[in-house]
Amino acid sequence: MDLLQGTLDMLVLRTLIIAPLHGYGVAKAIRNNSGEALDIEFGSLYPALKRLELKGWIAAKWEISEYNRRVKLYRLTPAGRKQLRRERSEWADFVSAVARIMGPVPEERE
Amino acid sequence: MTFWKRLKYLLPSYRHAQERDMSEELQSLAAIAEAGELGNLTRAAEEARAVWGWTWLDQLYRDVQYAFRSMRHNPGFTATAALSLALGIGANTAIFSLMDALMLRWLPVHNPQELVQVKLRSGSRVETPSESFSNAIVAALAEQKEIFTNAGGFSGAVFDVGPRGSITRVPGAWVTGGYYETLGLSPALGRLLEPADDRPGAPLVAVISYGYWERQFASNRDVIGLSITVDNHPVMIVGVSPRGFQGANVGAVADITMATAALPSLEPAFAALLGPGNFWLRVLARPQGGVSVGQAQAHLSAVWPEIAERVISKGWPAAQRREMAESVFVLSPGGTGYTYLRERFERPLTILMAVTALVLLIACANVASLLLARATSRQREISVRLAIGAGRGRIVRQLLTESTLLSVLGAALGVCLAWLTSRFLVDTLSGAGFHQDTPIVFDLTPNWHIFGFAGAVAIANGILFGLAPALQTTAIGGSRVIKDDTRVTRSRSGLLSSLVTAQVALALLLLVGAGLFVRTLQNLLNVDPGFRRDGVLVVNLDGQREGYSGARLREFYSALLHRVRQLPGVVSASISSHTPLSGSTWSEAALPKGQSLPQRDNAIFIAVGPRFFATMQTPLISGRDFDERDQGAPSVAIVSQAFAARYFPNQSPLGQYLSATVTSPPSDLQIVGVVKDVATSNLRLRPYPTVYVSYFQRASRNDALVIRAAGSLSQTAAAIRKQLQPSFPTSVLEVHALTDQVERTLVQERMMTSLTGGFGVLGLALACVGLYGLLAYSVVRRTREIGIRMALGAQQRGVQWMVVARALRLLIVGAALGVPAAWVVSRWLQSMLFGLTPTDPSVISGAVLLLVMAGMLAAYFPARRATRVDPVTALRAE
Repeated sequence: MDLLQGTLDMLVLRTLIIAPLHGYGVAKAIRNNSGEALDIEFGSLYPALKRLELKGWIAAKWEISEYNRRVKLYRLTPAGRKQLRRERSEWADFVSAVARIMGPVPEERE
Repeated sequence: MTFWKRLKYLLPSYRHAQERDMSEELQSLAAIAEAGELGNLTRAAEEARAVWGWTWLDQLYRDVQYAFRSMRHNPGFTATAALSLALGIGANTAIFSLMDALMLRWLPVHNPQELVQVKLRSGSRVETPSESFSNAIVAALAEQKEIFTNAGGFSGAVFDVGPRGSITRVPGAWVTGGYYETLGLSPALGRLLEPADDRPGAPLVAVISYGYWERQFASNRDVIGLSITVDNHPVMIVGVSPRGFQGANVGAVADITMATAALPSLEPAFAALLGPGNFWLRVLARPQGGVSVGQAQAHLSAVWPEIAERVISKGWPAAQRREMAESVFVLSPGGTGYTYLRERFERPLTILMAVTALVLLIACANVASLLLARATSRQREISVRLAIGAGRGRIVRQLLTESTLLSVLGAALGVCLAWLTSRFLVDTLSGAGFHQDTPIVFDLTPNWHIFGFAGAVAIANGILFGLAPALQTTAIGGSRVIKDDTRVTRSRSGLLSSLVTAQVALALLLLVGAGLFVRTLQNLLNVDPGFRRDGVLVVNLDGQREGYSGARLREFYSALLHRVRQLPGVVSASISSHTPLSGSTWSEAALPKGQSLPQRDNAIFIAVGPRFFATMQTPLISGRDFDERDQGAPSVAIVSQAFAARYFPNQSPLGQYLSATVTSPPSDLQIVGVVKDVATSNLRLRPYPTVYVSYFQRASRNDALVIRAAGSLSQTAAAIRKQLQPSFPTSVLEVHALTDQVERTLVQERMMTSLTGGFGVLGLALACVGLYGLLAYSVVRRTREIGIRMALGAQQRGVQWMVVARALRLLIVGAALGVPAAWVVSRWLQSMLFGLTPTDPSVISGAVLLLVMAGMLAAYFPARRATRVDPVTALRAE
């Protein structure tokens, strides 16, 4: 399934609100949480992480993972939380607007 | 916040840290992820870098690096192109910097853009309004507080500074009381001149320039209150003007500035300058805030009739008074100061600017040819890059980076070149100064105007002339070129030929222009001025300053003359009121007795002593010279041929009488001789009817000794100075050659001749380099063809002719375009020429001949190389 434009940032922020993750972890989490429906290429995800980091919505830190590996973990910043709230409400508005138009279709006549 | 992080990314250390961090992170992730799942990591990193938004800079950096590398690998190409551009841009920058200094630089004063220069347009001077005003008018203007915050008048001067016996001449200025306040300057030390200093009877005070303070007083702060001797009077220094300010007279430094009210005390002979009839001050004014130039002009028009009543000299004829009262004020931008040089050199400089633009065009065509030729040799490389997926835009951008970089390199060299030659440029102008000892001073140090100008030229040039080759090289679909590139080269060599043709035409235009100016100067030098200028020395005398007047002054001068005649090396000596081409003349009405005197002056008068004509070697046509008899009555005169021809046609003027009012007491003049016409004010003008009167029959003023010397002129000059200086304890005696005086009237012509000549040669050389390049290139491209021809029995001369014929074709087409262009453009020079028309056939044919000869020289080397082609080698190369 293709991603709607502009939703990737929101998905990343939403994913990171649960727990800090490394880059690959974010990709896996989105795939798993969407029931394998959204398979985001790492080539697109990674620049998105950098973009969000530059904007100050997420912060990165080198840490030791549970498997005793050194990984860079991304976590949400307070600014990121605020941004997520904003994007979520915009998304909700968007979905309900689309839903109103796309409501049950009356039986088409042949 | 984001912005600062982005900026921080420009720091190499930060960027490198980011890079390291990123590659570490990607490696760690690759270790976790399953193989291949992360895709192309290089690409991910590339796009992550783009997040910072500096990709373009990065690419530019790489392009510049690449361009440098390719320039280094082609030193011949780089040197030729950069040098061509350096010469072209250097020529432009040099002329522009002169123009900038003369016309565009703001005075270093408070808000210079607010200042206006006041001018007056009268009925008889509609074209060029008068720029000079009397003291009374300047004072009246300064009082118009509704429109001006203040107004100040100024005029250049030379002061004799120092005690008796050790006097130096120092350039300075006379200014009115409102001068410094109008300019809004604050002193570096002490105070500046104020209205109170410009009242009659005010103490004698002066303001000195910062430069003079440094040089003469070693920046000593005790200089305030110090008394110096100026024109033999004690004058107190009250202040030092701010650093960098040299006066409102551009090009003339004012080291000592004094109020006009001090003039009668210092120079009694010129006290009349302050009268209402003398217009000698230039005026700058500062309009009140919110008053527009239009409003100010309207206001001045409204109040002028009432002011005119007060300030116009009562001594003037009614018609002149009326014309003055009906004049209209014009306010023009004054923030760049005033200089008489501007009016004189604006047109020559504009022409030179156009000339250098043509030189630059020729140079640019060279660079475009070189880029085209090089594009051909790089065609394969570029085609391959296109074929493997490089964007066309990317490659064009890279080629443009190369050409722009080349231009910038050329411009940098050019600015250096312009700066090095600027001294020479100022020298060509400085002969135009009013006084020999007040050189024209211009600051030609490159400023942002000049860097901006050169930079803009370079970048425009790099893009304009880089674009065509860049688009052409990348236009062809990749695969076709890799296979076969002959078709491409054909269209490209057509473009090359037209570039060279254009160069030839432009060079011809330059040569014709230079030829016209060379011939003009030649014609002026060949004009018979009516006297022989070599070997004559002129000594200007000012006996009034030494306290002589009336009969005593005349005796003093006679004694000087007598002493000079005794000196070794002096062949003959005389005295006169005016010397030819000195810049000042004396004209009055003179008519045959019985005819009524007209309104306007109609003859030039010169008072001369005995042996004046012999000294100047002006031939006496008939009658006799003045001699010792002509001291009292009867009053006598000698007239010029032009005067005789005009007033005594078909009869001898000898023995006839003239009505004139020049002698004291006034009496009719009997004509005793006729002399050849002499150029009095200008070599270009036809000799004006001239009347010579006996030196001893009129009141003496500032006169000059003329001395013809045999042998070394400088030794005689030194001997004269040594002999006479003791008689002038309060001034500096100037002894100069008459030839210098004549030369000063030719400054503009000399400048135009040497500069257009120089630029003409430069343009021709650049065009020849272009021609040579094209021919050499075509010989190389056609090596195989030439080899085949020679293998089939073509003679060496035939092969040679092939190259020469190509050169001739280009030269003829270029000349065919250039001659009509020169025909049209040279009309623009008409007013500056003398003794020939702008379409002078000998100049045009001479220019064509020179062009063809130079072109043949350029063709010689490629033609010779063509004959050296060895058929066997040429064919084996296949």
